[in-house]
Amino acid sequence: MSRLQGPSSLKRKRPELNSPAQSLTEHERILYDVIRSKQDIGIWTRDMKKEAKLPDNVVNKSLKALQVKNLIKEVVNIQNKGRKHFMATEFEPSKEISGGAWYLEGSLDTEFIESLRQLCKRQIEKKVVATLEEVTDLINSYPAFNVDVTKQQIEEILRTLIWDNAIMEVKSNGMGEFASIPFGKVCYRYVSKGGLGGEPRAGALATIPCGVCPRISHCTPDGVISPKTCVYYQKWLDF
Amino acid sequence: MAQLHVPKNPTQPSSSVSHSLHSQKPKKQALTTAMVSQYGIKYAVHIITNHFGPLVAKVCDCLLKKGPLPLREIVRYTELSETLVRNCLLVLIQHNCLQPFLLEEEGGFGEVNKVSSLYMVLFDNVLHRVRFSKFMAIVSQEFNKLCVDLIETLLQHGRLSSEQIFDGFRDSTEGSSSGGMEALQENIHKLVMARYVERCPISEPFLALPSEEEAAPARRRGAKSAKVFLEPETLEQRVLAAAVPPEGMRFSFELNPEIGADREKAENSSTGDKRKHDALESGTDGGFVDKQVVLWRVNCEEFTRRLRHKICIEIVRTRLDDEAATVFTAMLNASRSEEKKIKTASSVPLSENSIYAEVIKSEKGRNMTLDYVISVLVGLSSSPPFVRVIDNSYSIDYKHIIEVAQTDEVESIVYKKYGKDAYRMFRLLSKTGRFLETDKISDSIFVEKKETANMLSKMWQGDYLQMEKLVAGPTQFLLWKVNMINLRERVLDDMFHASLNLSLRVAYELEQQKEILHLGVDGPMKEKYEKLKKVRFLLESSRMKLDDAIMIFHDF
Repeated sequence: MSRLQGPSSLKRKRPELNSPAQSLTEHERILYDVIRSKQDIGIWTRDMKKEAKLPDNVVNKSLKALQVKNLIKEVVNIQNKGRKHFMATEFEPSKEISGGAWYLEGSLDTEFIESLRQLCKRQIEKKVVATLEEVTDLINSYPAFNVDVTKQQIEEILRTLIWDNAIMEVKSNGMGEFASIPFGKVCYRYVSKGGLGGEPRAGALATIPCGVCPRISHCTPDGVISPKTCVYYQKWLDF
Repeated sequence: MAQLHVPKNPTQPSSSVSHSLHSQKPKKQALTTAMVSQYGIKYAVHIITNHFGPLVAKVCDCLLKKGPLPLREIVRYTELSETLVRNCLLVLIQHNCLQPFLLEEEGGFGEVNKVSSLYMVLFDNVLHRVRFSKFMAIVSQEFNKLCVDLIETLLQHGRLSSEQIFDGFRDSTEGSSSGGMEALQENIHKLVMARYVERCPISEPFLALPSEEEAAPARRRGAKSAKVFLEPETLEQRVLAAAVPPEGMRFSFELNPEIGADREKAENSSTGDKRKHDALESGTDGGFVDKQVVLWRVNCEEFTRRLRHKICIEIVRTRLDDEAATVFTAMLNASRSEEKKIKTASSVPLSENSIYAEVIKSEKGRNMTLDYVISVLVGLSSSPPFVRVIDNSYSIDYKHIIEVAQTDEVESIVYKKYGKDAYRMFRLLSKTGRFLETDKISDSIFVEKKETANMLSKMWQGDYLQMEKLVAGPTQFLLWKVNMINLRERVLDDMFHASLNLSLRVAYELEQQKEILHLGVDGPMKEKYEKLKKVRFLLESSRMKLDDAIMIFHDF
């Protein structure tokens, strides 16, 4: 599943088109034309049957034949993973079908995303402050990372690092650590405390059981659940 | 009462602010008091119960729940005798937790205006009672032992006349000579000059009906546009403003060389009971102070301001570094005298040179060059900006610092309660500040849609998010938002609840400790006793830390 070592989705090679299309039965030809006409959107088997006006058994048989001849492929439709969805092999699924660059075979490519996040974070940590272009160039020139990523993709990754409080978006003031970045340019600064992988600094309420207690709304001074009888307190104070 | 939980039904308009804005009778006094949440009241009543017993607490509870009331109403609601209620009120006044006032209201047709005598509990001052140790720590850092003792005496007794203070110290210290008395006077003078001690407020300020001029702008605003919203001054704020002695009087302490010679007056007022009588006129209204006797008390406002500064410095230190904290402290010191209220949004602007002059006064700042200080100021003014730069002058952005601290606290709870993905979702929504659809959130934070929807729903059920349904044909979209204003108030209520719980648990542990002491702390009991001591320490220190957080959400 990993794209880290292999070619990226953006570098996927198109299948070589040669003769098999010439040797199709009539039914296969009809079905192939229907599927191919849908280009990178592909088609759901039920819609296919309606459009081709062919009986179920013929469709099923023809689909198998077309797959064997490597003319069509089954793809996962991110909108509805349970449906059988086909597409001509010469096309790559559109963003609507595949879920976009972050999806692989219908699932979020978490391994790829996480590696990219860690890599971006490390680059910004090293530089303290970096622009989007700098991070993108650094990632694309990183030898172990055999994937080309766009500026937009890196921007999406950097956003998640902001939500993690691992980096923050700042505007350069042209001084100090921003000296190499033009004044007013948006850039990203590493947040030294907390962030990715590490918890944010626990506040006063989060460090005591009541702050995260799931039963707090049932807790009263003299009730069944009370500070005197609380099991979370018992655990907290057991040292 | 402020129940600040986010409404579950988004179609229902959230309960809104004040009826007084659209009052049909402009000359009617609006009894808008500062709203105290459910657990805020429970916590305050718990503090009063611990310090003054259940009867005083009952009166306090009644006034916190019902708002300011006249004596007869308090008697009616509490079902206590008038004498008992009066005594409870006296205790609360003596300890600065209650402010009596006179309120003028319009009479009926052709009748003269009525004046009612009302009693109002000062919620903030009740909370301050758990902060006395923090106040004393501040004094001990700046002044000598005698000053710390003076503050402790005033905190213990609430309000005292100079004579009473002198008497207390004459008996307990060796300084019975006039030299000792002089030193005592000088130290009181120092504390008054530092604004840590102040004259007590006017015993029963008079709140007149607003004049035509005062009432007119509100009417015009209302007539022109209902959109213009001016937060009304609460009754509490008006009463407190009316009760403050004039600025010149509030912090004026005259040294009296003859003090100590005339003991007659002091002797008459040295007992605890008599103190209360000095604080209150012995007449029927139960509120007037004998104007001949100047009473002194600790100025909690100044201590709160100092604690606010202290917490701001720690936030800067945590977010940036020690150098930034040193320069920031210098800015605080340089601008401190100009601060007039606790919730000051920003400091007066300071020039680079004036900041530098203050920096080099401190030991840590002495080795800093001007250029270095300027580079630290640049760091302080970049995101998140703790300092604002206007025309080469630097001004501390207190409001933003406090907001950063509040957000950190809320986010850390979300992380601990719901985990990392939820933390990411929450921060996305909180920073975006508007409604976002589930799929959009899922795409932005790289979490599967189903998991995202589940997590958002959990946070919504916990009242951390607001949700709205959008129906477009057969499809239904769910939109989510963080309402930080509501959430802050809700978290504050949780803090009051947690603080109450910590205090109750301390009491429970103390009971256990007493039992062990009764049995003797030898043998196997010794280990248990030591453990209980550690438990108490953890509980007490957690409560103090939580109180810092309460101040960040409530007082600052």
